[in-house]
Parts: sequence; structure tokens; C-alpha cells
Amino acid sequence: MAQTETVTTEASVAATKPDFIHRALRHRAFMIGLVLTGTMIFLALLSLFWTPHSPTEIVISQKLKPPSMSHWFGTDQFGRDILSMIMAGAQTSIVVGLIAVSLGAVIGVSLGLWAAARRGWTEDAIMRVSDLNMAFPVILIAILLTAGWGPGITNAILALGIYNISVFARQVRGAAIGMWEREFVLAARAAGKGDVAITFGHVLPNIISVIVVQATISFAIAILAEAALSYLGVGSQPPDPSWGRMLAESQKYIFFKPVIAVWPGLAIVLSVLGLNLIGDGLRDLVDPRLARRR
Amino acid sequence: MALLSVEDLTVELQTSRGMAAAVRGVSFELERGGTLGIVGESGCGKSITALSLLGLLPDGARATGRIELDGTDLLSLDEAALCRIRGNRIAMIFQEPMTSLNPVHRIGRQIVEPLRLHRGLRGAGAQEEVLRLLDRVGLPDPARRINAYPHQLSGGQRQRVMIAIALSCAPDILLADEPTTALDVTIQGQILGLINELVEDSGMGLILISHDLGVIGETVDKVAVMYGGAVVEQGDTDNLFNNLAHPYSQGLFAAVPRPGAARPDRLQTIRGTVPELTDLPPACTFADRCAMATDICWRQVPKMAAIGPRGTVHQTACHHVEGVG
Ligand SMILES: Nc1ncnc2c1ncn2[C@@H]1O[C@H](COP(=O)(O)OP(=O)(O)OP(=O)(O)O)[C@@H](O)[C@H]1O
Ligand SMILES: [Mg+2]
Repeated sequence: MAQTETVTTEASVAATKPDFIHRALRHRAFMIGLVLTGTMIFLALLSLFWTPHSPTEIVISQKLKPPSMSHWFGTDQFGRDILSMIMAGAQTSIVVGLIAVSLGAVIGVSLGLWAAARRGWTEDAIMRVSDLNMAFPVILIAILLTAGWGPGITNAILALGIYNISVFARQVRGAAIGMWEREFVLAARAAGKGDVAITFGHVLPNIISVIVVQATISFAIAILAEAALSYLGVGSQPPDPSWGRMLAESQKYIFFKPVIAVWPGLAIVLSVLGLNLIGDGLRDLVDPRLARRR
Repeated sequence: MALLSVEDLTVELQTSRGMAAAVRGVSFELERGGTLGIVGESGCGKSITALSLLGLLPDGARATGRIELDGTDLLSLDEAALCRIRGNRIAMIFQEPMTSLNPVHRIGRQIVEPLRLHRGLRGAGAQEEVLRLLDRVGLPDPARRINAYPHQLSGGQRQRVMIAIALSCAPDILLADEPTTALDVTIQGQILGLINELVEDSGMGLILISHDLGVIGETVDKVAVMYGGAVVEQGDTDNLFNNLAHPYSQGLFAAVPRPGAARPDRLQTIRGTVPELTDLPPACTFADRCAMATDICWRQVPKMAAIGPRGTVHQTACHHVEGVG
């Protein structure tokens, strides 16, 4: 992903809640994103209690069936119901995204805030380590972890989480430094507040929007990366459902049964698109300067 | 002993062209309850002087000299000790009331914080004190306003809130850095009036920074005129205004059109522009723009010397002004 430098936002979200909801409802891209992401979360939650068929049950007699009333999306080469697998796969995607983003956000935001508050060599050290970390693509980190501990979803999550630490640390550092230069921070210092109180009382509340936007975009990237890692065989392992592995397994049949590759592909595209639309929409909605222009 | 005594304060800042002195050998004193005005053009070091009193200089800055508050040298204090002085013994209000309040917190919360931090007030007691302070600074309907966000107040109201925050811990000194510059004229008068009143009532000292000579003349007992980081002239307000001695002060005051005074043919201004910090003349910083400058002005830093009749307080730093023996 391209590292956009510091989205500085005027962050008066708290102050303009009704207005925010009003503008959100009229922001078409944001609403489409909300619907797509909402559908994905709904399917994942539903799959916890109910799926049309078992996503793991192999019925060889039913293999490679086209879409029908009993199998809406058809069946795969082992006769498993594709819709059920997509629904269960959404769980995997969400779990991976949630943990990888939370891990990255909690550690990355802390490091970014620390770097901005301290500046000097603390900042240099944090940023150099994060540069080094970013120089390794997620796939490489995952493969390194796999070499050490064997393949598995935990390693994929860890690899993504580690990568996200750097993403959040840089984004938050940039935004936080901008806040430290603001006059209300100088006023807070002149009132006798220490660095910790200023960081949590003044800097963090004003960059929440930057963090939320980054989180949605990182979530989308995590879904994509989980699919890629599973596709490569270093992500989730059978029989855990995963969109990436569905894609990998459908590859052999791509020429005579292309439709079974379409479903997981569509699921990945739509959920990534949905989260990106939410991220972009939020960026517009929390930035009053952009909002007024449209 | 003076409440605050600044002696030979020099502040060097990091610039793109290396370290440069933004404040050069500044000395002044403030008695308990005294009022001092600092005037000078933009960039002459007024804000940096004020911020150095609080230990809030930009990263990489170096301050030397002495800043004594009740005999304690502030320059030798660590961050934790400075935090106990900031907002508690020395409070500051800023030029831009629009940006000096945090946009995401309600007014009430922002006033409670220093009360909790320095006075340990909490709960109902703190709430009561907030209302008292807001009432004191003349914010209408304080009970409702404590729930407002800064953007819901006007510039003048926000500055009143800033003043309430500054007053909250009954400081010994109030630093006001161009507190009315961003406000329109009628509000300016009200805010200055309020500051004057509060200073008189509470007996706190005031350091008022401004480039508006009118504001200074009406508000403070003593004035220091700064140019290029140095104080070039200082003294009792009336004395100084009536007998301007330093060529820069004369130019600065002549540049101000005075209502009532016969309008000069052409508004007098000081020739040239204020140079960059790193380009300031080495000795007398005004040498390159001064009509009276001679060799010595480039070689030797002029010393502060008393001028004017005995019994008055008035000093200037100029090689071409006769001191009194
Ligand atoms: N953070 C900084 N880094 C480097 N130089 C600075 C910094 N802040 C101020 N300066 C420089 O220090 C000098 C004095 O600045 P200062 O802010 O004290 O001026 P001032 O008298 O308050 O002017 P104004 O009336 O515009 O507020 C200026 O030349 C300014 O460019
Ligand atoms: Mg200033």
C-alpha cells in the first residue's frame, strides 16, 4: 500500500455528531461500503449458528455441481457446498483481520505516540526499526515464521500483526507530531501538564479519526493478505475454511469449471472494496475541509 | 527582592543555518503585583522570551543566563519541577484563542484540569470553582457554557475561557502574549479591561506582550522595547513614552499614526526590514538600519545605561545616547 503521509484531520467528530450521521447518510460510497461490510459481518455471524450445509462435509457424489436450489453457489470438487464455505470463510477473514489489526494498532499507536512525544533518539530508533520491518513484505515475514514454527493461521496473523505495527506507528507518529505543534498543546504545557497527560488528553483524542481510517484500510489489506497466504499454503490449513485456499483449490478446475473460482474471488473483492470505501468515506467525513468542498 | 528577575538571558535556536540567538542578553525585573510591557516588531523575540520563562523553548534551543522566581533559578529546574510552576505560579495566555483550546473537549473539562493538577480539586468543589472562574471573567451563562465545545464560542468568549484557565491557580505572574491581537477592536478593549481589573484585584504580576503601543501605554507601569532579540530601552511607561531615547524606539513610535496628533506628511517608518536571525549585526542589532550608526555600533555591544532625570527609572542601550554620570 502507498504510505500516504499524515492525514491531518480537524477531528471535531465529537462536536458534530448529528451532523456527522447526516453527512454519512448522504455519502454514497461510504454507504455502499457499509452495506458490503455489513453483509460480510452478517454472513460470518450467521455461519456461527447456521449454514445451508456443513462447510466441511465431503459428498463426492455431489462434486462440481452447478448452482441449484439446494446449492445456491454450486459445490466444489469434494461436493462441499460453496455458499456455506464462503460464509464460514468470512469468519476466518474477520478473525484474522480483527486480531492482526488490533495487534498492530495497539502496539503501533503506542509506539507512534511515544516517538512523537519524545522525539530525538527515541523517535529515530522506533522509526528505523519500523523502516526495517516495512522492508520485509508480509509474505516474507509469514514464510519466515512458517519456516520456524510450521504453517498455520496463527503465524499468518502474527506476520500481518507485525507488519501492521509499523504501519500504525508511522501514521500515528506523523499525525501526533502535527498535534504537538498545535497551539492548544503549547497552552496545555504552559498549564503544567506533563507529556503523558498531553499525549492521552490532547494528542490521542485529536488523531482518533486517523487511526480509525487506517484500521479499516489495514483490515482490508489483512483480508487480502490472509487470502494470499492461504493461497500459498502458509495461511489457514484444511479443514478450516478460507477464501484464499478455496481460490487455490479451484485453480485446477479453472478451465472447465471457472465458476467455482468466481465465488471466493468475488467474496474477497467485495469485502476488500467495502472496507476501502468505508475508510475513504470516513476520511472525507471526518475532515471538514473536504466535506465542505463536495 | 523582585518576584521575577531575568538576568542576561540569551536563547539560541536551531535554524536551517545553524544556531542563532533569538534573545540576546535580556535583563528585566518584575515586582510582586508589578506590570511590565514588552513591545517590538514581529520576530524580535518577545514570544521566545516569554516561553523561556516557562521552560517551553523549541526543541534544540539553548538558554543561558538566569531567570529567578523568588530566588529559584528556573533554568536549572528539571521538567517535573517546571510542570509545578507552569500554570500554577506562572500562567500564560496566547494570541489565538481560536486555536489554544482543544477542539474535542468541552470548556468545563479544560478548566477543571489545572484545578485538579495544581490544587487537587475534584467533583462538586471543582465544578463550583469552574463556575466561579467563568463568572469572574464575565462569560455569560457559565452553567450552560461549561458544556459547550470551543467552536461554539466566539473569539472573545474563548479568550475569556483562556483567562479563566490562567487564573484558576491564582498565579504570581500572568504572561499575556498578544492576548487581543486576534480579536476585533471592541472586544480587544473588553479583554484588556478584564486583564487590568484581574491584575489589580488579585495582585498578580503581569507581563504583557504586544506590538500595539496603545495597548501597552494603557495597561502597564513599565515597558521594555525589544529589537533583534535585545532590550534596547526600558523604563517607567510615562517616562519612556515621553522621552524616547533609543533610535529604534523613536522610529517605532514615529511609525504609529496617532489620532489627534497633527498628521505628518508622510508616515515615518524605519528604513529597511527586520533581518533574519542569522543575519543580525553582531554588536548592536539595530546598527544596519540605524541612521546614527557608526563604527563602534558594529564592534561593541552597547550596555544598558540609565538616562533621564534622577529618581526616574529609564535605561537604554545605545552608544549615541548620553547616560547620566
Ligand atoms: N521554533 C523555532 N525555530 C527556529 N526559529 C524560531 C522558532 N520560533 C521562533 N523562531 C525565530 O525566533 C525569532 C523570535 O521569534 P518570536 O516568536 O519570539 O517573535 P515575536 O517577537 O514573538 O514575534 P511576533 O510579534 O510575530 O509574535 C524569530 O526570528 C523567529 O523566526
Ligand atoms: Mg510572538
